[in-house]
Amino acid sequence: MHHRLTFFVILIVALLIQLTVAPEISIGTVIPDVLLVATICWALLEGPGQGALFGFFGGLLEDIFSTAVLGVSAFAKTLIGYFGGELRQRIVSKSVIWPMIIVFFGSILQELAKFAAWAMVGLEDRPPFSFGVIAGLALYNALIALVIYPVIGRFAVREERVTLFQ
Amino acid sequence: MIITLVIICVLLVTVYSRESKGGLFHRLQRFSMDVVSPLQKGMSKVLSPVKDGIGFLVDMGKARGERNRLREEVKELEDKVNNLEEAARENEELKKMIAVKESNPQLDLVVVDVIGANPDIWEQTIQVGAGYDDGLQEYMAILSEDGSLVGRIIVCTANSSLVQLITDGKSSIGAKLQNNAEMGIAKGQGGGGVRLELRNQYAEVNKGDVVVTSGMGGTCPPDIPIGTITEISERSADLSIGILIEPRARLTRLEKVMVVVSPPPKTSPIEAEGGG
Repeated sequence: MHHRLTFFVILIVALLIQLTVAPEISIGTVIPDVLLVATICWALLEGPGQGALFGFFGGLLEDIFSTAVLGVSAFAKTLIGYFGGELRQRIVSKSVIWPMIIVFFGSILQELAKFAAWAMVGLEDRPPFSFGVIAGLALYNALIALVIYPVIGRFAVREERVTLFQ
Repeated sequence: MIITLVIICVLLVTVYSRESKGGLFHRLQRFSMDVVSPLQKGMSKVLSPVKDGIGFLVDMGKARGERNRLREEVKELEDKVNNLEEAARENEELKKMIAVKESNPQLDLVVVDVIGANPDIWEQTIQVGAGYDDGLQEYMAILSEDGSLVGRIIVCTANSSLVQLITDGKSSIGAKLQNNAEMGIAKGQGGGGVRLELRNQYAEVNKGDVVVTSGMGGTCPPDIPIGTITEISERSADLSIGILIEPRARLTRLEKVMVVVSPPPKTSPIEAEGGG
């Protein structure tokens, strides 16, 4: 019960930060994707199933609170959350650099997944592809992962949780 | 579970893409945006200093790049201005040289570049980029761009020559006062000045008098301006008077000079002959 509560509190807080704070700390056109960072961090702490769930709900809420095609962010974040959780089993290093690296590449993969999804549904007015913007977003996300990961790590409760990254 | 979630996502995307703008999901999005917009506005106000701070930092980063670009541009423009100024000055010098040539038709002048100066502070010499191969020879007179005497060649090689300036301590040139033709010798003082020794101890001489070459000795053609008398000291026990000449040629800023190749020098310099 406590675990579910933590899940939803982190989800809602991340959503609120995404909707209110993130646009205010944008650098140029790059707005940090707090929900993605939270998804990956949660996945790294809780595993693939929880990561996928967090990504799904986070992405779905993001889609609902925007004008984007409903389901696309949910789709991308579900996959990223799942595979991020899978990495938890494989990486044993405690270095803080790993969450940042995973967030960096996860951000790139998410944007590629979004573009793929938009192309599949035949979205006509999709934004122009810019790898520069994606790289900027990935860097920014990796940077804020430094802050978000320890915060989520403190609240995430799980009996068999092993803090792999500090 | 992952497959279920992905299928739900695909279904959502499909339904959303096919429904009209007034469909359930579109309305849900609009409603959500209405709900959250007051919160966003409030947070935007609260966080505006943060946003400004980030904007400031971003601008700082951009400003640094801009500053570096502008520095490069300024440097390029400065180089261009310097080149243009150089060209203008060179043009001015050449014009003056042409005027000197035209006013001295009896002289055959060759324009040469000054390529260096003697690093030895005790020798007032310059090096020019022409020598035997260009028709130059030792003891030829050297004039500045305005036709004033600079010195004469003391060493001549195939492609360059060493010019002894009139201020050099070993330089002696046959000279005369322009207004009364009183003869004398202009001797370099080694420190940038020239001293005039008149043969007639009682000759009338005044500050501001112009001193020109006498042509005696045959190394320098006559009537080439040397300089202006700036100082006359009192007569000493041997009745001689000290007369200082300020050279008319700007000896420290020579870039191009003219060599008097004709008439050629007839004799060796004044040290050997006692008149030049």
